[in-house]
Amino acid sequence: MTAAPHSARFEELLPAYALGALDGDDLRELEEHLTAGCEECRRQLELWDRDLEALAGSVVPVEPSETTRARVLRMTAGAATAVPPPRRLPRWLALAAAALLVMAVWGVAGQTRLRGELERLTAERDRLARQVAVLDREVTLARDAAERSAQALQVVAAPGVKSVVLAGLGPAPQAKGQTYVNPRQGGALFYAFDLPALPQGKTYELWYIAAGKPVPAGTFAVDPHGAASVRVERVPDVSSIQAWAVTVEPAGGVPQPTGAMVLKG
Amino acid sequence: MSRVAAHDGAAFTRLFEHHAPVTLGLLSRILGRRMEAEEVLQEVFLQVWTQADRYDADRSTPRGYILMLARSRALDRLRRRDASRRREEVVGAEQGEAVSPLGTERLESLERRRQVTGALDSLSPDQRRCIELAFFEGLTHTQIAERLEAPLGTVKSRILLGMNKLRQTLSAELQ
Ligand SMILES: [Zn+2]
Repeated sequence: MTAAPHSARFEELLPAYALGALDGDDLRELEEHLTAGCEECRRQLELWDRDLEALAGSVVPVEPSETTRARVLRMTAGAATAVPPPRRLPRWLALAAAALLVMAVWGVAGQTRLRGELERLTAERDRLARQVAVLDREVTLARDAAERSAQALQVVAAPGVKSVVLAGLGPAPQAKGQTYVNPRQGGALFYAFDLPALPQGKTYELWYIAAGKPVPAGTFAVDPHGAASVRVERVPDVSSIQAWAVTVEPAGGVPQPTGAMVLKG
Repeated sequence: MSRVAAHDGAAFTRLFEHHAPVTLGLLSRILGRRMEAEEVLQEVFLQVWTQADRYDADRSTPRGYILMLARSRALDRLRRRDASRRREEVVGAEQGEAVSPLGTERLESLERRRQVTGALDSLSPDQRRCIELAFFEGLTHTQIAERLEAPLGTVKSRILLGMNKLRQTLSAELQ
C-alpha cells in the first residue's frame, strides 16, 4: 500500500491533529500519511506542538499548597541516601502484602477484640485488590501504590506496633478509623472507613494530639466506598501521642483544626 | 532534565519550583477543582521524577514537556469523571447533599473566565470557543460540533483559522 503524497490538505489537518481534535476519516488519512514517514508533516507538527505548549503556558499560575509541595518533594528524599527508585511490584505481591497484613494482625492477636478488625482488614484487602486492578492501567500510579503497600507492611508487620481505634462522631456516627504506629521507625498508618464524601472545597485532615496540642498529619479524600488511608512519615515518641482525630477543613488543609470533628480515638 | 533523570533531588526541586505554578494553573483550568488539580500535579511530577529519561530535548522544552504531560493526564481524569458523574449525581441526590452552593459556583466560573489569557484574546469568540473545547476539554471536531450545535465543516475551519491566528499572536509576542 502506498500512502497519499504530501499535500496542502494534510498540512491543514495538522493543527487539529496536534490539538487532539481530529477524528473520523481525517484522522485515519493523516495517520496513514504520517506513518508513511512524511518529513515535512513531521517538521510542521513539531511547530504546532510548540505553539500548543505556549498556549498551555499562558494560563494564570496557581501556587501549589504546602501539603502538595511537601508530598512531591518528599518523593526524592530517598534518592540522596541511595535508596533505589521505586520498583513496580507484581500484582500477586501487592495482594500477598495485603494478605500478610491481615495474617500479621491475626497472629499477634488471638484476642476476640481483634476479630472485628480482621473483618475490616479483609474489607481493606478487597478494597486494595480492586485498587490494584484499577492501578494496573496506570503504571506510574501502580508503582506509587505498591510502594505504599510495602511501606504499610513495614509499619504494621513489626513488633510493638501500637494501634488505636477511632470512632465516628456527630456528623458521621457510622464512620470508623484505625491508626498503627511503629515505635521503632516512627512511621504511622491511618485507615478510615464509611466516611461520607465531602463537598467541593473541603478536605478531611488527620491530627494527632501530643503534649495537649493538635499536630497536622495529612489531608485526605475518601474513595467511592468511603475508605481512605494516610501514611504519616514521622511521629514523635509513641507514648507522647494522647489521641488521634479527623476534622473537616478547607481544601489544602490548615495548620490548626477549625472544622467539625468526625473521628476521634 | 538529564540530572533529574539521574535522580538528582536538588535538580528536581528546582524543576518543581520553576514549573509547578504554571502546571497547576493549567490543571486547575482543565479540571476546575483545586483539590483534584493538586492531586494530578503530584502524579505529573511523580511521573517526571520516575520517567525523566523519556524526555527528548530536541522535541520540547522541559516546561513544554511537563505541561503537555499535565494536559494529557488532566484530560484522562476529565473523561473518567464524566463516566462516573451519572452515578455520583444519583448518590448525591439520595443523600440530599448540597454539593456546591450557588454562590461558590458563580465565583468559580468568574475565576475561570479570568484565567483565559492573552494568547486567545486575538481570536474571534467562535474560534476561541472551539479551540478551548479542544484544548481544555479534550473534545474532537465531531464532539465540538455536537456541543455547539454547529455544522462540522464550520467547526473544522474555525479551528484551522483560529490555530493560524494563534500562531501569529504567539510569534508576535516572542519578538
Ligand atoms: Zn505530509
